[in-house]
Amino acid sequence: MYFEMKDIEVNYDHIRALKGISITLEKGNIITLIGANGAGKTTTLKAITGLVKIGSGEIWFKDQRIDVLPPQKVVSLGIAMVPEGRHIYPFMSVKDNLLMGAFLRRDGQEIKKDMEMVFDYFPRLKERLRQQGGTLSGGEQQMLAIGRALMARPELLLLDEPSLGLAPNLVQRIGEAITVINEQEKLSVILVEQNAKMALKISNKGYVLETGNIVLEQESKDLIKNDHVRKFYLGG
Amino acid sequence: MVIQMILNGLMLGLSYALIALGLTLIFAIMNILNFAHGQMYMLGGFVVYYFYYVFGLNYFFALFMCIPTLALIGVIFEKFFFRRVLTLGRREESSMLLAMGTALLLENIALIAFGYKEQGVPPLIHGVIKIFGGYLPADRAFIILMSVLLIIGLLVFIYKTRPGRALRALAQDKEVTYLMGVDVNKITMLGFAVGAALAGLAGGLLALTFPIFSGSGTPITIKSFLMIMIGGAGVVPGAIIGGFLLGMVESFGYGLISGSMTYLIIFAMIILLLIFRPQGIMGKPWG
Amino acid sequence: MNQKNYARIVLVATLLFIYLIVLPIIFRNQRYLLNIVITASLLSCASLGVWITFSIGRINIGQGAFAGIGGYTTAILIMKAGFSFWQSFLLAGLLAALIGFLFGLVILRLKGVYFAMLTLSLTETFRLIFLNAEGLTNGGNGIMGIPRPGALSIAGITIIPNFGRSNIFFYYLSATILIIVFLAVWRLYKSRIGWIFKAIRISEDLTRSCGINIVKYRIMAYSICCFLGGIAGSLFTVFYQNIFPASFQVNDSVYFMLYCFLGGLDYLAGPILGAFVLTGAFEVLRFIQKYQEGIYACIMIALMLWLPNGLMSLNLGKVFGKRKEKELETTEADKLLKSYNPDSGRKSLKKEG
Repeated sequence: MYFEMKDIEVNYDHIRALKGISITLEKGNIITLIGANGAGKTTTLKAITGLVKIGSGEIWFKDQRIDVLPPQKVVSLGIAMVPEGRHIYPFMSVKDNLLMGAFLRRDGQEIKKDMEMVFDYFPRLKERLRQQGGTLSGGEQQMLAIGRALMARPELLLLDEPSLGLAPNLVQRIGEAITVINEQEKLSVILVEQNAKMALKISNKGYVLETGNIVLEQESKDLIKNDHVRKFYLGG
Repeated sequence: MVIQMILNGLMLGLSYALIALGLTLIFAIMNILNFAHGQMYMLGGFVVYYFYYVFGLNYFFALFMCIPTLALIGVIFEKFFFRRVLTLGRREESSMLLAMGTALLLENIALIAFGYKEQGVPPLIHGVIKIFGGYLPADRAFIILMSVLLIIGLLVFIYKTRPGRALRALAQDKEVTYLMGVDVNKITMLGFAVGAALAGLAGGLLALTFPIFSGSGTPITIKSFLMIMIGGAGVVPGAIIGGFLLGMVESFGYGLISGSMTYLIIFAMIILLLIFRPQGIMGKPWG
Repeated sequence: MNQKNYARIVLVATLLFIYLIVLPIIFRNQRYLLNIVITASLLSCASLGVWITFSIGRINIGQGAFAGIGGYTTAILIMKAGFSFWQSFLLAGLLAALIGFLFGLVILRLKGVYFAMLTLSLTETFRLIFLNAEGLTNGGNGIMGIPRPGALSIAGITIIPNFGRSNIFFYYLSATILIIVFLAVWRLYKSRIGWIFKAIRISEDLTRSCGINIVKYRIMAYSICCFLGGIAGSLFTVFYQNIFPASFQVNDSVYFMLYCFLGGLDYLAGPILGAFVLTGAFEVLRFIQKYQEGIYACIMIALMLWLPNGLMSLNLGKVFGKRKEKELETTEADKLLKSYNPDSGRKSLKKEG
């Protein structure tokens, strides 16, 4: 298996945030985790990158166990994460933000090429190259955050609520961008979303998280038709 | 008279900026107020005193030795003291008290090792430069030049190099900086080392004109706090402005009124400044 | 619960017995040792004030300034205006509180390191004021030969007779004042106001949104702090019978803070414990004079490394009871507010998806 989480548990002091989560992902696929606030979606992503220490379970990526590695090692294996709320560097130029994404890379020429690639996806960023990150609009910041993650040339991209706080037309654009990037860059994607509609539309497989458990796991096209999902996540 | 005060102010202001930069760097990346900053300055003075005067080596070598010596102290402090306390402590105050402890420790080690006596080093360059009727001893001109070079060097390091970018990133968002693949522990250590080395270099430079003694740290610590309050804590341009302003005001104050009255007025002015601009001149909005 | 309360009463009674009866009897002929306990009592008073500012989430390194204000007020009123100690004692506290109130209007808007740095420079400012206002303070020469407290009579009835230079009398005076101050702060902390202080520490915005006038409460807390600093400074001045600009410096302000830390910021008895332990340790360490402060610094560092939450967080906490549950509440809140740190394996819940 390309990527696999086996029975992951995470405890925050006395609270069990994840109660045994198993996820699998095949190369080149998009999977999505949907669920309400506090269901454990963000924790799952943080567990993958090593930002959160897991209580028990194993995480495997390309035949390597990664739950024992510190974040910078996980990132160096080709996993990039776009955190919730974007978290771009507010007092750094757009260019420096993108360069931070390529922090682990030493191939100057290739970095330049990838920056051009990011500009192809998000031309707005090129216009604002010298502007400070904090002065960008919400949508632009999200583009920058995704672009910054792409600069690491990842194989696996983790996206945490990329549509949060964006206007509907922007949500659609971000959704499209994810699909295109997935196809063109041969990227695998784990997408965490509250906007289940967009997420299920672009993903191959979906997991439904509730209070730290996976309650449903199906092909996305089937999940969209699922009564439970329709009722609670797609608004009837 | 005015020219003279400006010349003195230039020297003070630029070397103070160097001190404030180190303090603000450590504050920005670790959220620690380095109470031992003045003591690190003092140790820089002693490094130059020993290598340059006692061992009779080249001044530039002595000044350079401030970097590894103070950086080592910074690394030790960060790795063995602050990292643990920042990880364990429930309140931010713990790191502040720890910082005070390190200040007291350095001062006492210096006291035991070097005694109370004020030391001095022979001038590096003899002679006096006359500028518009003001007199600038060559050594002071040298201090001004070196301070400018060091400040430029630091700015290039912070804004143009890869580790410098990581330092800025860490100061702005620690969690995301992990996600960029940055070894945060290593970069934090680097930041502390650079901050400490800057204090040491300033001490080593000013050793040319000011006495070197084990008690010189605390006043510098207080002054460096004033500088970053003026400019804004954790902001690089703020540190330069704060340091420069304080040096100038100090120079004019000492020239026109007594020293303690000068500081009385400076304190009053800072309180006034903070009423209208609590985050300092260049600061980010602060809670 | 009853068991715990019982243990607590026994402990408090034992401590009071030692403090009020055993120590004075043992030390009655050893002026030096008696002085140490007096010093610790007065330091506790000032530190309790600092502790109150901690309870509203401010790091106060300026208590030395207010001890100085109290001390100089007392000295000037007694020496130049012919007041009795008792009158000037009260006025010293009130003046310190008033000045604290005025400063508080401005500086309490600042938080975190800014407040810490500003209060630190406040100490230095007042030292310079005392040094420069030579007409009132004699500048660097200080004011010397201040008499010890005389008799206190109200409406012709002598309440406290004149004890002259008896140290035992001063011992009991400082002990009484410490106990009164402790009870008053304890009462305050258990009241609604105490909860508001704590709420301000956890989140000012949240507290404000509950319709509480936080400006009023934080100024109240700071004024009380300064009052305690003022009366402690006043007592110090008549105890040593002199005062200099250097009597209360930045280091003293740091030490007041340190006592709170050492005892434990979560415990009301923390600053008292801290002051007594450190003053005691200081005197023991004096035998190795040369290395005294160095060892002192090592203690400070070691404490923060291995006991960041103070001495009271040791098993003593159990006896001082009831803290446990409340402590949990505050730690939970702390965690909520504390920013995230991947190294520690402890996470804030704030960012949880």
